Amino acid sequence: MTPRASRSSVVEPAVSSEAEIELRQIAEVFVAESLEGLEAIEQALVVQEGGFDEESVNAIFRVAHTLKGNAASLGLGRLSAFGHALEDTLDAVRHHELAISADLVSLLLEAVDAIREALPGALDGRDEIVGEADLVERLRVLRAAAAAEPAPTPGAAPTGGAHPEAAHDHHADHHHTLRVEVDKLDQLMNLTGQIAIAQGRLRESLGELGAPARQAREVAQGIDQFMGDLQELVMRARMVALGPTLRHSARALRDAAAARGKQAHLTVVGEDVEVDTSVVEHVRDPLTHLVRNAVDHGLETPEERRAAGKDPVGQVVLRAAHEAGSIVIEVRDDGRGVDRARVLARAVALGLLPAETPPEAAEVLEALFAPGFSTTEQVSDLSGRGVGLDVVRRNVEALRGRVEVESELGRGCTIRLRLPLTLAIIAGLAVEAGPDTYVMPLDAVVECVELGAAQEGGDDGETGVLSLRGQPLPFVRLRRAFGTTGRADREVAVVVRRGEQLAGVVVDCVRGERQAVIKALDRTLGRLPGIAGATILGSGRVALILDVNGLLATRLDASHGRTDGGGQKC
Amino acid sequence: MEDTKALAAPGQYLGLFIGGEEYSLGILSVREILQYEPLTRVPGTPPSIRGVLNVRGHVVPVVDLAVKFGYPEATVTARSCIVIVEARIDDESTVMGLMADAVSQVADLRAEDIQPPPPFGTRVHVDYLLGMGRAGRRFSLILDVDRVLSADEIAAVQEVPLTPEAAAAPLAERPAAGA
Repeated sequence: MTPRASRSSVVEPAVSSEAEIELRQIAEVFVAESLEGLEAIEQALVVQEGGFDEESVNAIFRVAHTLKGNAASLGLGRLSAFGHALEDTLDAVRHHELAISADLVSLLLEAVDAIREALPGALDGRDEIVGEADLVERLRVLRAAAAAEPAPTPGAAPTGGAHPEAAHDHHADHHHTLRVEVDKLDQLMNLTGQIAIAQGRLRESLGELGAPARQAREVAQGIDQFMGDLQELVMRARMVALGPTLRHSARALRDAAAARGKQAHLTVVGEDVEVDTSVVEHVRDPLTHLVRNAVDHGLETPEERRAAGKDPVGQVVLRAAHEAGSIVIEVRDDGRGVDRARVLARAVALGLLPAETPPEAAEVLEALFAPGFSTTEQVSDLSGRGVGLDVVRRNVEALRGRVEVESELGRGCTIRLRLPLTLAIIAGLAVEAGPDTYVMPLDAVVECVELGAAQEGGDDGETGVLSLRGQPLPFVRLRRAFGTTGRADREVAVVVRRGEQLAGVVVDCVRGERQAVIKALDRTLGRLPGIAGATILGSGRVALILDVNGLLATRLDASHGRTDGGGQKC
Repeated sequence: MEDTKALAAPGQYLGLFIGGEEYSLGILSVREILQYEPLTRVPGTPPSIRGVLNVRGHVVPVVDLAVKFGYPEATVTARSCIVIVEARIDDESTVMGLMADAVSQVADLRAEDIQPPPPFGTRVHVDYLLGMGRAGRRFSLILDVDRVLSADEIAAVQEVPLTPEAAAAPLAERPAAGA
């Protein structure tokens, strides 16, 4: 039997390692799903803290139940037992034996944190929960106390509240879904982009062939159509609702309010607004930060609010909406607003602004976004620590977005993030300036106006003002801005929207509209004002995509804004 | 003479000409050699960045080391090429192009062919070098690609001042419209 023995000794390790790999894959799915479940629990706990309805209690219960079961099937006894303790507590809530209190919510949140920390260990078969015994004991004490003194039915249950059976219907209205790694979607998107580029080249070369290629051109047009549909579908597959991201901030709000002795209520609007999945990853932290900021710096203490004749409970509104081809996410609070005088003093002290700046200037609020800026003297453990609005802005700008601030002293502050709807492909207008071709995002473009040689304001300066139907239009001459001298014989002013105003980008000529697949510029190139990224033209050459707002801000305002005192004010 | 820096390891090295002098690059960091083609300029970058190039769908920055080493800017000839290299910069792998007047040969350098870089008399700072290689009767300086392309060195772009960004948020100036 030697041969068989030797064979088994060879085969066995292979089998066991395969089994190990499989087990690890199962564990990975378990961890991913459990993390999502915990997030759902956390959001339900925080959002519903004021008044629990049975539906959400049931939902939380189900998550705890699933966690318990899955952990047990992976042989994670302690996680499973901990899940069981949670489940017991929630069961008591479900049966109206235990009332939802701030203490209970805090304790449940602690438990959620403990599980979250323990989960990564499950990948290596570790099964430990830090503080497990203490948490279980506190849950038990809470239940025992409640048993001694029967709780009233949970407050604010909606009339005709959902019955536990409603839980089963829950699955019915779910569409059939599939987990796909974002990587794969990214690749799919890149590929459609590459095909679109190749197609552009095909179209151009067929065009050059002239009449004989008519039939081929028609076929190519047909493919164009399908390609467009495919691109849209891939793009849609990447869209996710903002809801979970927005609600994620609820936890930050609660923690910040608790730590600061403030009362705050969060309203979330526009949970079903969909954005590209990569946007979600990039706005989560900035939003959490802004919400924390709103509580930390924006809202007053209940006493201060009462004294000011306000409701002691501060309102924070997180709103997402589509606006003109972009997504707007804003964080609004009804707190004390930004004290411009204080910000100005601080900005001057930090050397960010010259001492003689008039306190009205836009730069004052802008100083809030400078690295290291903070008006609160002591570093709080919530905001502060050097990560501030500058990080928020950097994240948003990395997505080709903008940050806007509105504030009224005593009434509150709104910080608005304006993001492009899709990241990977934009409709662009190709323009030429000097030897180079650039692409301008089409959504900012209002019209193109041909300029005669004798156009007024027609010297060849980098910036100037020309007359558009009798209205002054400040412009930037692109070839000068980007280091080419002289001017073309005929020029075109591309009129763009700039907030409430119009401005012009003067180029040598306009090449027409095209889809531009956005490529990132290497980070070693540093931050380039006026340039949003790059794309590849039909010819295979790289063209830079303009960040029109950035370009106008750096060129126009640097040369005019401050000297002619309010010439470019909105 | 003690050298704190590790010497280049024996192996294959690509020779290339920059500013009329021959340098060597470890072949493992070379991805491909492309014939020169027109680059797209990127306004606002330092002069050593010649522009960006489409390398199979990726936008790759191209560096003119001649400028960095203090030679006149490389002129484009029929032999000019762009060497696509993979460098580790800030612990991340980055693909970049290097302008070269020409590439010469791939040389097999043994340990005894590699000497420490001369501490003086070179145009290039010793920090950027991994040694001096000898192939036959020719000597060439071996470049430390990671160092020579490091972000600090390349993107030593002036910090963008705060103020020109001021009007990036035009609404900020509106005296708090609304209720």
